[in-house]
Amino acid sequence: MDGCQSGVPTYEGDLHVVAAAHHIVKALGATKNLSDDLRKILIDLDSHLSMITSNIDSKGGRGLVDVEERLDQAERKIMRWETDPMMIWDSGPKEASDYLEAVDETGKLVDGLRGLSVHENRKQKEILHRAMNILQMAMSRLEEELIHILVRHGQQFEPKHMYSRSIRKDIVYDESFISVEDEPIKETSSRNYSNDESGECIVDLVHADVIPDIKSIAKVMFTSNYGPEFCEALISVQKEALEQYFSFLGTENLSIEDVLKMEWTCLSSKMNKWTWSMKIIVRVYLASEKQLCDQVLGGLGSVSSYCFLEISKATILCLLNFGEAVAMGPHRPEKLLRLLDMYETLACLLRDIDTLFSEEAGSFIQLQFHELLERLGESAIAAFEAFRVAISSNGSLYPFAGGGVHPLNKYVMNYIRMFPEYCNTLNLLLKNQHPGVADQVTEPDYGLDASLLTSCPMAYHLRSITSCLESNLHKKSQLYKDEALQHIFLMNNIHYLVQKVKGSELRLFFGDEWIRKHNAMFQQHAMNYERATWSSVVSFLKDDNPGSSSMSKSTFKERCKGFSVAFEEVYKTQTSWSIPDPELREDLRISTSLKVVLAYRTFLGRNLAYTDDKCVKHTVEHVENSLLDLFEGSSRSLRNSRRW
Amino acid sequence: MPATDYQASFLGRISIRRNQVIAMDGNHEQELQDLELFSKHVSERFAELLSSPDDIPFDALLSISWLRKLLDFFLCCEAEFKGVLMMGNDPSQISKPPLDRLIPEFLDRSVKALDVCNAVTNGLESVRHYQQLAEIVVSALEQKPIGDGQSRRAKKALTSLMSAMNVDDKECSAAKATERSWSFSRRGVSSKDRVPEHFRSVSNQVAKNWSAAKQIQAMTNNLVPPRGAEGSGLASPVYTMSVIMVFVMWALVAAIPCQERNGLSAIHFPAPKQLNWAQSIIGLHEKIGEEWKKKEKKGTAGLLDEMQKMEKLGNILMDFTDSFQFHGDITDQKAEEAAARSAELAETCRRMEEGLLPLQIQIREVFHRIVKTRTELLNALDRVGKSSPPLL
Repeated sequence: MDGCQSGVPTYEGDLHVVAAAHHIVKALGATKNLSDDLRKILIDLDSHLSMITSNIDSKGGRGLVDVEERLDQAERKIMRWETDPMMIWDSGPKEASDYLEAVDETGKLVDGLRGLSVHENRKQKEILHRAMNILQMAMSRLEEELIHILVRHGQQFEPKHMYSRSIRKDIVYDESFISVEDEPIKETSSRNYSNDESGECIVDLVHADVIPDIKSIAKVMFTSNYGPEFCEALISVQKEALEQYFSFLGTENLSIEDVLKMEWTCLSSKMNKWTWSMKIIVRVYLASEKQLCDQVLGGLGSVSSYCFLEISKATILCLLNFGEAVAMGPHRPEKLLRLLDMYETLACLLRDIDTLFSEEAGSFIQLQFHELLERLGESAIAAFEAFRVAISSNGSLYPFAGGGVHPLNKYVMNYIRMFPEYCNTLNLLLKNQHPGVADQVTEPDYGLDASLLTSCPMAYHLRSITSCLESNLHKKSQLYKDEALQHIFLMNNIHYLVQKVKGSELRLFFGDEWIRKHNAMFQQHAMNYERATWSSVVSFLKDDNPGSSSMSKSTFKERCKGFSVAFEEVYKTQTSWSIPDPELREDLRISTSLKVVLAYRTFLGRNLAYTDDKCVKHTVEHVENSLLDLFEGSSRSLRNSRRW
Repeated sequence: MPATDYQASFLGRISIRRNQVIAMDGNHEQELQDLELFSKHVSERFAELLSSPDDIPFDALLSISWLRKLLDFFLCCEAEFKGVLMMGNDPSQISKPPLDRLIPEFLDRSVKALDVCNAVTNGLESVRHYQQLAEIVVSALEQKPIGDGQSRRAKKALTSLMSAMNVDDKECSAAKATERSWSFSRRGVSSKDRVPEHFRSVSNQVAKNWSAAKQIQAMTNNLVPPRGAEGSGLASPVYTMSVIMVFVMWALVAAIPCQERNGLSAIHFPAPKQLNWAQSIIGLHEKIGEEWKKKEKKGTAGLLDEMQKMEKLGNILMDFTDSFQFHGDITDQKAEEAAARSAELAETCRRMEEGLLPLQIQIREVFHRIVKTRTELLNALDRVGKSSPPLL
């Protein structure tokens, strides 16, 4: 500006030069593809030149008077609103543009006057001060108008399309591992959302109609050097709006200490809420906020990203802190799925985050996200290990009554049934857990090649989990004194295991070989049961002397009695045993029937001569019917029921 | 016995009674050396912090750069501490008395420190806001010639700045935060330059009813110097590190606006003066404590050197803008004075611009480091626990 001072022309000839220069500047200013910096320079130059013109004029006495008149006019327009209770932008577009025009004019006058040697001319100095005073008033007003517009036209959006998160899953898997003795498991649908469901969606945080208004305020404030005030107002309002939205989502600030102390059910729902809020805040809210900043402040260099960072930082840190707190909490097995949810959410948001905070100042936030992701991954692995340990170390002091499906088995199988949903993530996380497995894995593309799935890291870990489970079940079976019941228990539980695998996507990971092997296993237990229970009973019915025609009556009587007593004993005990699966129960009854009833019928048939005797306590039909009462889980007795 | 050689200097000359020292083998000797080195370094580092000259503004006590140095030292001490504790030859030590009690207490303290880190990070957001407002003041007063308009502009920003600093310090403001929203009709207010009300935002809270002072008070629970035989073992570095941690958190809270700081000066450090390494920390504690007491009387936002400067300059400049508006004009001498103050404020803003983000990043680093050590200690405890026969 000093250059201009010394360059103020004093004689006629220069006037033409100035006029020509002015002309060129105006022409240049009309060019479309100018950078904003360049445009600003041209605008400055423009006002300098017009000021020089009026200054030259002022030698003739006209110039300053002109300036003063222009200022008076602008002042009237600006001052009018100082006493008006209405907001300008509420009053109509004409009022707003008039006002902006007056402010723009004042700004130009200030710029022009300032470019001149103010110390020489007292009058000039006075006008400049007056103009700056008016400008300050106008700027203060504009700031207020800006806040008013932002608040009045700020829009809250309902995250309704995201309410479809897996609510049913919560109910089921909020059970902690400790509570496996209960019966927590209901059959559930798998989770009904995928990670990209929310998709890119940008909303208008401030009504689209007022964006041009905000832009025009930004333009005039930045031109007049009041950019910091604009940013301050924008940041304050938008930051608070974000915080309000944050609490609208139901997210509250929690200290790390609180999170660490939190009960599982509560923590689980908070983790769920976090996953959900994180997606909405980043994908929708922040993306929209970024758009707003860019719309309003685009072209002003890094101002837009600076404002965006200031608006969003506190809330982002708050979300991150909850994640950190969860990741550092005790690695309980029931946390695994929730942790995986959080991990997956974060992983799929990373790209958004990297875009939103691409500037250098935002790299801090980026880094925090990446670190949290890593930590959640570690935590998930630890929870996975804890799950395995919990399975192996789940101990019982007493045998499980009835020999049915153990709650541990139910819990574990229903839990791991969810794993295929997290296949890619689990593969990624578990890849390095067992070096031997890692080599087998090329890019795991879930669902494509079934033979590949059985050799992915997750499959390996799934099988290792079930083998932990199996060996624990074997340990539990040892608590039964009755060998037959041991077999019933193992048959039931392995059958359950196989059913769960076959009936879900788990089968792809376990493979046919595993299923075949385990089918054979429970069948073997069924056969072992039959042998353990019925061999001794049926032995009463055996013909010691196949060659001879029949046995003596006394032997028959003795055998009959022996059979009855043994059968009644079995009946009494095994009606209280349980085979929960109806098909399995039916199968076992049929094969038992085949063995026992057939033997009994043959026995009686061969000794027809004695059958009218009282010593035949049970008819064949009766034995056959009685077998139907076995494994129903409620103890009965034949001795007290009927007399024949 | 080799232990006697170390008696003279070991851990600030705590006397070890010979008969209480068990298992004196070569490893133990190494351990003693490590312990001695650790406390020596602690002592040196904090002596350096204490001797920070007040007259050089860049390194003044509780300036941004001083705090960064403090955090640097914290990280160094922490690394050495972990080395002493974990690289030890016998991992099972941490599960034996007295460490079986001291380590969980230490971990508990760590978790509390994490929340303090977060509170301070939030506080730095407020300081950023002050900086923004101060920058407006500077940019208003930089304009030549200074006139009524610019003076008004500066005054408006100054009023916001002073009230923001004031509100952040009013501990009751948390309750107000939830009720407040931008008023829709602000017209008709008589003052020409309306100042938006300031508030403590919800995100600046660690949690509802959380208190930085109480948190730090709680960190000092059970914090007692090891006595007798304990003084010779790993109980010592655990105690030392705890004191350092409490002190660093306390100093951060004193310097930077934080949620609820009532009663901060009443926090007593159970660090006996006869411990060499503790002397500088005690000295610093006293010095900062004095400042805090003055602050409690005066009511300033925090002891951060840059903030105090900002406040002082703000008051002077506020007087200047007042007299400007009253007289309509000012003498050249006053204008020069204002320009000088404004330049000082600009310098303070520049230092904040340079230092605040790195400070925030560093606090985050401290946060992550504490988390990491906690995890490692928990894992170590877990491993030791597993090697003992299971309960089942």
